[in-house]
Amino acid sequence: MSKLRPDPDQPLAIASASELMNPASRRSFVRMLLGGGTALLLPGVFVGCDDDDGGITGPDETPDPVTGISFDLRTDVGIFRMVHVLEQLESAFYTAVLSSSTFSSFTTEEREIFTDIRDVEIIHREFVAAALGSAAVPDIRGSINSTTLNSILGSKATIISTARMFENTGVAALNGAGKYLQDARNLLIAGKFVSVEARHAAALRDIAPPAGQDANKAFAGDDIVDANGLDVKLEAGAALGKVVGTNLVIAGTFASPAITNAPTATQGTASADFFPTNP
Amino acid sequence: MEMQQKPLLDGMDPELMAPLISRREAIRKGLSTSSMIAAGLALGSAPVALAVLAKDVYGQTPADILDALRFAYVLENLENEFYKAVLGTSAVTAQNNAFATVRASIPASAVAAFQQIQKHEAAHVAFIAQAITLAGSSVPPLTANDFDFTGGNGSSTPGPFVRATTELAFLLLTAQALEDTGVRAYKGQAGRLLINGDALSDTVLEAALRIHSVEARHAAKLRRIRRALNTSDTSLRFSGYVLGSGVAAAGAGNIANPPQAVIEALNAIYGGGSGPVSYNESNTSHVVFNGTAAVTINAATLANTDAIGNATARSNAAQMAFDEALTKDEVIAIVRGFIKDDAARGLP
Repeated sequence: MSKLRPDPDQPLAIASASELMNPASRRSFVRMLLGGGTALLLPGVFVGCDDDDGGITGPDETPDPVTGISFDLRTDVGIFRMVHVLEQLESAFYTAVLSSSTFSSFTTEEREIFTDIRDVEIIHREFVAAALGSAAVPDIRGSINSTTLNSILGSKATIISTARMFENTGVAALNGAGKYLQDARNLLIAGKFVSVEARHAAALRDIAPPAGQDANKAFAGDDIVDANGLDVKLEAGAALGKVVGTNLVIAGTFASPAITNAPTATQGTASADFFPTNP
Repeated sequence: MEMQQKPLLDGMDPELMAPLISRREAIRKGLSTSSMIAAGLALGSAPVALAVLAKDVYGQTPADILDALRFAYVLENLENEFYKAVLGTSAVTAQNNAFATVRASIPASAVAAFQQIQKHEAAHVAFIAQAITLAGSSVPPLTANDFDFTGGNGSSTPGPFVRATTELAFLLLTAQALEDTGVRAYKGQAGRLLINGDALSDTVLEAALRIHSVEARHAAKLRRIRRALNTSDTSLRFSGYVLGSGVAAAGAGNIANPPQAVIEALNAIYGGGSGPVSYNESNTSHVVFNGTAAVTINAATLANTDAIGNATARSNAAQMAFDEALTKDEVIAIVRGFIKDDAARGLP
């Protein structure tokens, strides 16, 4: 049986609840059901459930993958839904970093930084979720590609470079989206977030500069601040592209196209992006 | 009190409105201007884009945008001239000489950071000057001579920040305070620049946001330099965050016997009002417009935050997660002491 590409014509055998908790087979399970296939739940599944007081989707467990997330950027709500995706992925990533075996090799300083960032991203995630209410994006932890995640968690260098990508993408996305917001209160909130993300980004670049950057200047290096003294900036589609580019999100999580409606001319006009390959 | 949506349009002079609206219609109809804007942006130069707009699209510049630009220009000059004096590159010998003692004690790594920061401040000065000029107004005539980096308002008696000229820890604290003031100032002005569908405001707002996050990078670096010199002071976070409010948020713990006037200044720099724009840096309640109504959310009492830790950890995280804004008046009150009070120059 291939876990990654289930054949809808063949029944999918799931022998135990622990196998159902494995993201790859759970995804197969969901795809099988979506595709009209048959899932064969062997008796052990139910035994396993009895042993698991949280149930299959208990509060501490990974939820099912979310598919087909799309964004209508014609409203502040739509723009903040994109922010919600970023904050969810960031907080899930940092949570995984802190519980990884690699984290024990971090210095005291690095541990303080990553703990602070995890804590703040959790606050951001829950704040945006509360603000969006019923418009919030579902919990996307189940859409995280565990193979990619485990690969990144294997070394401090890849953890920090991924963190730099996330934080700088966060800065760039908010810098690019601000002009489309229609309510000054929401712009103020975006401003409160973006400078915090910029502090993360500066600290991360300071402890581990991207290749070729002067260690004493990388916190705001010439790759990340242009000749006019302006920071990174991405339009929404490009920001989502950076998220997809990490391969941390499984295919199908976002709809195609993910942005169903771009901001209107009444909201604002797109401008040129500025973002290095390796922030 | 509630902040109004798009306050600028509401308060705008009707004489400014008419041409603005008709120009906006022209933009919407997609005319030659948009391709010119695109060409300007393709050059990678926002001033070029600004130039196209200012000259060809707008007969007049919305008053709030110009006011915010002139305000930012003063702040950026203050920062730029401060770092130049610190580095010994000011055009005014007396400003260079004033910092000679402390300059000798700055580690080479911090000198490199200061140089990078000063380069950005100089770029911001030039960028904003160009924006003001292209928007059809005159650039305030500021030079290094217009500033008093002791915070003494140009008086013959040195001000409370004079120790920044002789003590490294004091210098770094002052630089951090200036950067954090800049972050808070830009954050407070963003709402004044929000005019949906107005291409000039789009460009200026986006540039302001991009300068704002650069100032935050600077502030984070300065906090990290200070923490490295005093690693046990956990009020200064290695992550560069602002934790708490007032003098505590400044992390002034490694300053021996700070003057009362400095404590008061730091209380103002990391303090704030009661909204709707300005709040204390330790504020955790924030107003959002959710598409239907304004909602106040307290970040300190959110669900699903147990992973952060105990109540203290959650409270700290809720404070660090939001940088707060200051109003223009609050910022002017903070920086006034650093500017020689010369009304003839049109200074605040």
